[in-house]
Amino acid sequence: MANDTNDTRTVLGRGTRVRGRITGGQDLEIHGHVEGEISASGEVSIESTGTVSSSIAAHSIVVRGAVRGDLTAEDSVHLEDGARVVGDVRAPRIAIAQGALLKGYVQTGEASAQRPAAARKAVAAAPAVRTAPVAVARPVVATPPRKVEKPAAAPPPPPAPVKRPVVTLAGAKAAPSPVVPALKKGAKGALAKKRG
Amino acid sequence: MAGTVIGAGITIEGEVISDEEVVVQGTIRGKLQAKEGVTVEAGAVVEADIHGGPMVVAGSVTGNIVSSDRVDLQSGARVVGNVKASRITIADGAQFKGNVDMDV
Repeated sequence: MANDTNDTRTVLGRGTRVRGRITGGQDLEIHGHVEGEISASGEVSIESTGTVSSSIAAHSIVVRGAVRGDLTAEDSVHLEDGARVVGDVRAPRIAIAQGALLKGYVQTGEASAQRPAAARKAVAAAPAVRTAPVAVARPVVATPPRKVEKPAAAPPPPPAPVKRPVVTLAGAKAAPSPVVPALKKGAKGALAKKRG
Repeated sequence: MAGTVIGAGITIEGEVISDEEVVVQGTIRGKLQAKEGVTVEAGAVVEADIHGGPMVVAGSVTGNIVSSDRVDLQSGARVVGNVKASRITIADGAQFKGNVDMDV
């Protein structure tokens, strides 16, 4: 009927959404949206308009669109320019082209091995596919300095005025250091002399 | 070429919803909805309710068919389920078991 050229190929067009599992032994070309596991023994290609939000297992995988899920291939995984992937990538051969975005654990060689638990957590917490790179960069840069500043500023004020009013007065003239030193015996007298 | 083709070796378990025409050569279990029409080719198996535009069935369908346009059951088709459409043709040699509703 409509396709006499490529009979062995499955195509999900741009306007098509699949919710559920896709299995089979053919090549699969995805221009639309898939929410569900994909396993095929042929080549699965996610084209630039395609989005897949679950894991893919196939003989080989080519990504030019967005995937949120693990990619496992018996042969190869190619992330082309424009690919956005959040998930683990496992295949004997993996190619990541310039312009492809990836957040996840990558393993070439045998596809069977497990990934570290820490990495899994990081990916699980990751936000939506498109915003991933921006959101990741911010917290890493911003949080540490703030933490350091706070504790340094907080402790000094409370102990100073309440416990040793005398020392505070002296300290205020000499140095603005908020840290209250324990005075040695006789130091108080020395200070009085200086002022004196 | 049609927008979406479910090839002969492929099985989809779940929902397929499309704004385009969908050609089924493989297997779909669940639900199928295609605005621009559905073609179930010979050898294809659809175990799902089908909604959409014009439909041509030459394969096997188990489920209700609702079309805003026409439904053609071709020779070799096997349909178990109700068919609702404004026009329906059933070719000689098509197997069909179910109600027909033609908005009379």
